[in-house]
Amino acid sequence: MSDDDDSRPVLDVADLEVHYGLRRRRRRALHGVSLTVNRGETVGVIGETGSGKSTLARAVLGLVRATSGRITIAGEEVTGYSSQQWRALRRRGVVQYVFQDPLRSLDPDLTVEESLIEPLLIQGVPRAEAAARGRAYLARVRLADDLLGRLPGELSGGQRQRVAVARALVSEPSLIILDEPVSALDSANRVGVLEILKELRDAGVSLVFISHDLGSVVGVADRIAVLYQGEIVEVGPARTIIKAPGHPYTRLLVGSAPTLRSASASRAEREALRALLHARTEADLAPAR
Amino acid sequence: MVRRILGLRAGRVAVGILSAIALLAILGPVLAPQDPFLTRPETLAGPSWAHWLGTDYLGRDVFSRLLDGSRTSVLGAVQVALIGLVAGAVPGILSVYLGRAFEWLTLRAADTLIALPFLVFAVAVTALLGNGISQAMLVVGVLVSPLFFRVSRAATLAVARSQYVEAALISGGSVGWLVRRHVWGKVLPPIAVALAQTIGTGFIVVSSLTFLGIGVQPPEPTWGGLLASDLGYLAYQPWAPVVPAALIMATVWGSNLLADAIRDVSGEAGRTLVNSRRAHARRLDSPEPLTAGGTTR
Amino acid sequence: MTGTLPDNPADVVVPTDTVVPTNSVVPADAGPAAAAVVLAVRDVRIRDEVNDREIVHGVSFELRPGQAIGIVGESGSGKTLTCRAVLGILPDHLVVSAGSVQIAGRDIGGLTEREWTDLRASTISAVFQDPASYLNPSIKVGPQITEVLRAKLGLGRRAARHRAIELLAAVRLRDPELVYDQYVFELSGGMLQRVLIATAIAADPQVLIADEATTALDVTVQAEILDLLADLRERIGLTLVVVSHDLAVVAQLCDEVLVMRQGEVVEHGPTEDVLYHPRHEYTRLLITEHEQYGLERYLDGPAATAVAGESPDLPDSPEWPALPVRRKSPDRKVLDGVR
Repeated sequence: MSDDDDSRPVLDVADLEVHYGLRRRRRRALHGVSLTVNRGETVGVIGETGSGKSTLARAVLGLVRATSGRITIAGEEVTGYSSQQWRALRRRGVVQYVFQDPLRSLDPDLTVEESLIEPLLIQGVPRAEAAARGRAYLARVRLADDLLGRLPGELSGGQRQRVAVARALVSEPSLIILDEPVSALDSANRVGVLEILKELRDAGVSLVFISHDLGSVVGVADRIAVLYQGEIVEVGPARTIIKAPGHPYTRLLVGSAPTLRSASASRAEREALRALLHARTEADLAPAR
Repeated sequence: MVRRILGLRAGRVAVGILSAIALLAILGPVLAPQDPFLTRPETLAGPSWAHWLGTDYLGRDVFSRLLDGSRTSVLGAVQVALIGLVAGAVPGILSVYLGRAFEWLTLRAADTLIALPFLVFAVAVTALLGNGISQAMLVVGVLVSPLFFRVSRAATLAVARSQYVEAALISGGSVGWLVRRHVWGKVLPPIAVALAQTIGTGFIVVSSLTFLGIGVQPPEPTWGGLLASDLGYLAYQPWAPVVPAALIMATVWGSNLLADAIRDVSGEAGRTLVNSRRAHARRLDSPEPLTAGGTTR
Repeated sequence: MTGTLPDNPADVVVPTDTVVPTNSVVPADAGPAAAAVVLAVRDVRIRDEVNDREIVHGVSFELRPGQAIGIVGESGSGKTLTCRAVLGILPDHLVVSAGSVQIAGRDIGGLTEREWTDLRASTISAVFQDPASYLNPSIKVGPQITEVLRAKLGLGRRAARHRAIELLAAVRLRDPELVYDQYVFELSGGMLQRVLIATAIAADPQVLIADEATTALDVTVQAEILDLLADLRERIGLTLVVVSHDLAVVAQLCDEVLVMRQGEVVEHGPTEDVLYHPRHEYTRLLITEHEQYGLERYLDGPAATAVAGESPDLPDSPEWPALPVRRKSPDRKVLDGVR
C-alpha cells in the first residue's frame, strides 16, 4: 500500500459491468469496460449522452455499485468496499471529481474559500493550514486571492470552474476525474480551463477527462477511449484515434467535430456512418425481442 | 447571519417587536398592578384610572390579567412551536439520509398524525398523562409536527440531490458534515416560516383547548382566553377584544417578519439582494472593472 | 453589397412568396443582384434604458434567399440581442435606438403586434438553445405542430396532421408517424431540436434564425442538426442566420461570418476571408484556440492530404467495410495566413 510505487496504474478498471433498475426494468449501463490510467497520464473518455460515461465515473467514485468486474484505485481494490471503507478512502482524497456545471457544484451560500478547503477540513486539517494550502492552489488555477471571500454567484462561469478544479487539487489526489469540465463554458473560458488542465498534466497529475466532444479533449488527452452504448469500442493515442479511427462511431465522432478546416468529413459520409450504426443497433436489438 | 438579519429593516422591526413581547412575558406577572384573580362588584366597567383597560364580566382588572397571562401565552406558543420543530424537522431532515426503513417509518408516522382527529387525540393524551399546560402543549406540538416534517423533508430533498452535496460526499464528508455544512442553511428558511406560522396557531389552539377545559385552567389568564371571553360580551364592550388581539397579532406579525428576514438573507433571493447591494457598494468604491478574468452576464 | 438595395423600402413591399418560390434552389453564391434582399439589418444599435448604456454598437448585414450568415461571439457579445431585435422580442428595458431592420422589404420599426404575428413564422422564424423548454410537456409533439399549421395556414384537422408528418419527415426524423404521437420526455435533445425546426419551418418562412441551436447537444447530434440546416437551405432555399460561440460551427455552414465582441462587430466578411485573413486580434485568437486545443492540431499532418477516393487515414478494417463515400480533401490553405 505504499504510494511511491510509480509503475502501478492509478486506476485500473477491469471488465466492469453496471446495471441500473430492478428486474424487468433492468438496463445495462456498462458492459465489459476495461480501462487503465497510468501515473501522470491523461485519458479522455468520449461518449454521447447515455453512452455510460458518467456511470463509469460514478462507479469509480463508489456512487454506483458494479454488477461485476474489478476497480483498483492506486493499488487498492475497491470493488467490494462497504460505505465506511469508501468514506475512509474518499477522506484521504485519493480521487477527486470535477462536475460539469460549476454553478451547481459549488454551494451558493459558501464563500470560495470555504468550498475550496472543504476536502481538507473533512480530513481534519487545521483551518489555518487548510487556508494556506487553498490559497496556493487558487494561484495554481490563476485566480487572485481576493476571490476567496466571494460567493460563487459573484464569479464568472470560467472562474467558478477554476475554483472547482482547485478544490479537486487541494487534497493532492492521485487521480482527478473531470466530467464535461468545459461543456458549460463559452470559448474564452473553455480555453482558460483547458490551459490549466494541460499544465496539470505536464506537472504529472493523472486525469480522466470525460466529454461528448472530441474537440475539447484532444488538446489535453494522451490517450482516448471511445465509449459507445456502454462498451469501449476503441482505445488509443489521441493522434491515432483522430487520424485513423477504426470503429464507425469513432469515425462519425471525428467527422462530426466542427473544425476550421473544411468539414473533416462530408455530409454524405456522416449520413452513411449514421445509417450503418443505426442498422447495427437494430440488428443487436433484434434477437432480444 | 444575525448581523445580516439586522441589516434589513424588516429584520430590525421584527427583532424589536419580539424583544418587547419577550420582555412582557418575563416581567408581565411582576408588573401586573392588581391581583388578576380578584373579583369586584363593578363588572364590565370601562377604562378608568383604577382599571386602565376596564374590568371583565367578573369585575377582574383586564390590564393585570393581560400582563399576568403574557408569560403563559407566549411560553405556550413557543413551546408548541419548539415541540413541533424537534418532533418534525429533525426526522424530516434525517428521513432523507438514514435509509429506506427509517424513511418509510417516518412518512407513515407523519401520515398517521395528519389523519388523527385533533380533539380526540387531545382528550386521550390528557386522560393518559393528566391534565396540565405541558401536556396540552405536547399534544398541539406533536400534532403540528407533520407540517415541519413535510417542509423540512421537501427542502432537504431539494438540496440532497444537488451537486455540491455530492461533491462533499465524494470528498469523504459524513452525513453529519453534509447536513451541518450544506443542508441546514437551506432548510432553515422554510422551517423558520413554518415556525412563525405555528406560533400564531399556538395562541389560538391553546385558548381553544382552555375552552374545553384542557391545558390552561379557567381562572388562569391567557391572551387567547381573554380574547375568547371578550367575544362573549361584545355587545357591552365592543372595544375589549382589541388589546389581546393586538398583542397576538403583534407576536405573529413579528415572527412572520423575522421568518421573512431569515429567508431573505439565506435564500436564493436573499443572496442576489445582498450581493447586488454589495456589488453596488463596491462599484461606488472602485472605478476599475472587478472581474479578474473572463466575462459573464 | 449595400449599393443594390432600393432606398425606399416601399419599392420592395410585394408579396414575398411571389419573389421567391420556396422550393426553388437558389445558389448561395448567386450574384448580389440575383434576388431581393430578404433580411437587411442596417447599423442596428441596442440601448439599455435602465442604465442608459448602449449594448450593441451597430450591426449591419443583409441576406438574400438561400444565403447563410454566421454570428460568432461569447456570451455578452450582443449576438443574441441582435437576433432578438430582428425578431422583435427584445426584453422590455432594451430598445433599438438607431438603425433599421427590414424583413422581406418591410421595415419592422412601425409594426403593430398583429403585423408581427403575421410576419413571425410565415416570413421569419427561429430556434433556440434549449428545445425542451419551447414545447409543452403534457401535449404530444404532433398536435403542437398542427396547432401552428392550423393557426398560420388555416389548414383543416386532417390536412394539418398530414402536413405535420411531412414536416417531421422533412427534418429527417426516422419514424415521423411515431414521433407525431410522442411526448417531449420520450424524445432526445437532438430529436426535440428537429421537432422545433419542423415547427419553425411549418409556415414556409424565408429566414430561419438558429440561436445556439446546437450548443446543448452532443457533438454527433450537433453535426446532424447542422447537416439538416444545410440540407434545408439547399432543398427549400431557406435563408439562415446561425448564431454560435464556436467559430467552427459557423464556418462549416455559412458563407459569411460576423464576429462580435462586447457589442461591437470586429470582423465581417466571407467565411474564407475571415479564416484566411482575420483582421482583428480577437478573430485570430479564436482561430488559434482551435488550432491548439481542437482537432485541427492532428488534422494538419501529411495523412490529411488524402485525395478524394483514397483515405489512408481511414483504414477499413474487415469488420467495417469501406463506405461508398468519397472523402473531401481537406482545404489546407485555410488558416495559412494566420500562423
